[in-house]
Amino acid sequence: MHVGQVISGVGHAGLIGWLIFGGSFQSEPLPFEVTEVSVISSDAFETLLTNGPQPAAPIDIALPAEPEIVPDPVETPTPDQDVVVEQPTPTPEPEPEVVPEPPIPQPEPEIVDEAPVQPAPQEQAVEAPELAPRPIPRPSDRVAPEAAEAPEPEAAPDVVEQEAVTPDEGGETQAEEQEQTAPEEATEEIVTEAEEPAGAPLTSARPPARRPTPPARTAETPTEETPQPSEQPQSEPEDTSSDVEDALRAALEGGGAEDVPQGPPLSAGEKDALRVAVSSCWNVGSLSSEALQTTVVVAVDMTQDAKPVVSSIRLVSSSGGSQSAANDAFGAARRAIIRCTRDGYGLPVEKYGQWKEIEMTFNPERMRIK
Amino acid sequence: MMVRVLLMVLAVVWTAPLTAQDGPLRIEITEGVIEPLPVAVPNLVPETAGSAEMGQQLARVIAADLAGTGLFREVPSSSFISQVSDFNSPVLYADWKAINVQALVTGAVNVQGNQVTVKFRLYDVFSGAEMGDGLQFAGTTDAWRRIAHKVADAVYSRITGETGYFDSRVVYVSETGPKDNRRKRLAIMDYDGANVQYLTGSESIVLAPRFSANGDRVLYTSYETGFPRIYVLDVGSVQRRVLESQQGTMSFAPRFAPNGQTVVYSLSQGANTDIYAMDIASGGTKRLTSAPSIETAPSFSPDGSQIVFESDRSGSQQLYVMPAGGGEARRISFGEGRYGTPVWSPRGDLIAFTKQSQGRFHIGVMRLDGSEERLLSASFLDEGPTWSPNGRVIMFARETQGAAGRSTLYSVDITGRNLRPVRTPEGGSDPSWGPLQR
Repeated sequence: MHVGQVISGVGHAGLIGWLIFGGSFQSEPLPFEVTEVSVISSDAFETLLTNGPQPAAPIDIALPAEPEIVPDPVETPTPDQDVVVEQPTPTPEPEPEVVPEPPIPQPEPEIVDEAPVQPAPQEQAVEAPELAPRPIPRPSDRVAPEAAEAPEPEAAPDVVEQEAVTPDEGGETQAEEQEQTAPEEATEEIVTEAEEPAGAPLTSARPPARRPTPPARTAETPTEETPQPSEQPQSEPEDTSSDVEDALRAALEGGGAEDVPQGPPLSAGEKDALRVAVSSCWNVGSLSSEALQTTVVVAVDMTQDAKPVVSSIRLVSSSGGSQSAANDAFGAARRAIIRCTRDGYGLPVEKYGQWKEIEMTFNPERMRIK
Repeated sequence: MMVRVLLMVLAVVWTAPLTAQDGPLRIEITEGVIEPLPVAVPNLVPETAGSAEMGQQLARVIAADLAGTGLFREVPSSSFISQVSDFNSPVLYADWKAINVQALVTGAVNVQGNQVTVKFRLYDVFSGAEMGDGLQFAGTTDAWRRIAHKVADAVYSRITGETGYFDSRVVYVSETGPKDNRRKRLAIMDYDGANVQYLTGSESIVLAPRFSANGDRVLYTSYETGFPRIYVLDVGSVQRRVLESQQGTMSFAPRFAPNGQTVVYSLSQGANTDIYAMDIASGGTKRLTSAPSIETAPSFSPDGSQIVFESDRSGSQQLYVMPAGGGEARRISFGEGRYGTPVWSPRGDLIAFTKQSQGRFHIGVMRLDGSEERLLSASFLDEGPTWSPNGRVIMFARETQGAAGRSTLYSVDITGRNLRPVRTPEGGSDPSWGPLQR
């Protein structure tokens, strides 16, 4: 009995709830387009057709001739050809590049505009010839209308005065100094270096190098051959020639000590460059353990083209090993100096006086075990 | 005012030496390069009709000796600009400089009957001078390789300042067959693996051959009787005799003293192994160690005053040094891992050893106080180092992994460079490098 009431109550409650809340769960009506339709008569429609600008509008639509563009995409299946054909079109592209060029010339004119400002120094340079007459005062100092021969009258009174002065005052020395300074040379004409014939030959033809052909010798044991003095020069012709060439080169290029340009000391970078060049050829791989503990100081004379004089390479001192080890270490150092100088060490010629002689210390401490 | 001027003058005088250079330019070179020295060895000039082939062979062996050190690089003959056709003709240094040859070896060979005479000269190309005097060797045609080795030794010595090691021999254990059935016999060969000769048969196991100081005898351990016993073998006559030993003991790991009259070895009694010394002539023995641990692998210092050996008295296998007559030992190895088979360098400045660490074996060297340890190799199994006569190279045995693993001899420079196998007809182990031959 209660069951029936409950069922009835639930059913009614559900019905009532659906009636009350059912509308709230409904979605909003879908939007729909509303078109206004007006009903006109057939006459009115015909009048609309005849009076309106209808023909013009369709003609305008046809004018774009877009169908003509359509054929282009038809040709696209052969795009490569199109690209090839279009290559001429890039040629017009350079034209736009040419177009930007005008602006480039524009700055150029600006530079040119500035350049005219710079001609001012050119004008100054033009004025330089006016300054050129500066050498004129020099001949006025040097050249005298007549050759100066006056030192004698000046020296004569000095001698007389010196005779009057007691020897304790030392006037004789002063008189001698005056005689040395007085007779300056003066000539009537200026003889330039170009006009003056050189006393010494500027260049001399080097005698052609000839390699002596050694006479055929009988086979002998090397130990017996070496002490023979007559065979030594035969086995080392090139060595001696290279030494002679080095000596000649040093003599010619080195010249007198007065001609050596001193210049400032080498910079740290120039020294490092020399150090690196020698280091790259200093091969210690074949040295003995004892030689690798020996530091040697090697001196070498350099030519002006920054090449070592081979015959001048000498061992100055050694430390840390026996004489034999020092000789081995010196051999490696000498090879290092010679090997890497085919084109010279690239040292500045204006500082030749600074590196005319070099002492290199070869310290293998870091190279012992690597 | 005067004071100011005076100060300015003094300042100029003082600073002048800073800008002016006094004496020659001085620089210090501390960095060099380590690379093989280019050397050229043209074929030796034949002085008789049948000497041409011999001249080629000699040149090849000389060049191989030099290049095998890793200190030299042979410049191939194909790059030669000028040929040496006359031993007495002057050297065209420019031609050799152009191909960067720094050392040039020229020679001549004269074969008459079974006698061969070889003479050579060595040139420092860049200095344009001969290095030392020419030398001449004579011998039989059978010994032509020894003559080539002697020439190479002379060249090596003149350039490096060290004695060579090419004219030397190595005694080792030749091995054939798989690991579980390996046959071993004593063999002797040139240092480069040529001229192998067998000293024993393969009926019994042989171990640890060791050359005497002058190379006339070899000590080794054999299991002929079932127990390890020490034998002395005369290399010239191939005659041998067993050293006396006590019954029920095992003696092994023998090594000659520098005087050739004393032998040190290990004697195992029960669970204890100690080092003993024996006078070969009298057979008298002296116990040098008396510890409950295992002491073995003794090796004399070059002057015979000390012995280096291995011991596990500290709990792990380490190296110790004691006086040659026995006494207190000092430990010299303190690194990680286990150290064994120490060998004193002929120079006396280094000790070579085998090291086992982290599952790998190494050959290494250290100073006498254990400092400056350097490992020269690493592999599955490297062991048994032996020094070249000049103390520059170490030879050892390397065994590959697996049942089919093969033992091969290797050599390496003490710098760790130039690791290369020694070509032997069969496998090899336990090498012992003999002295230079006379």
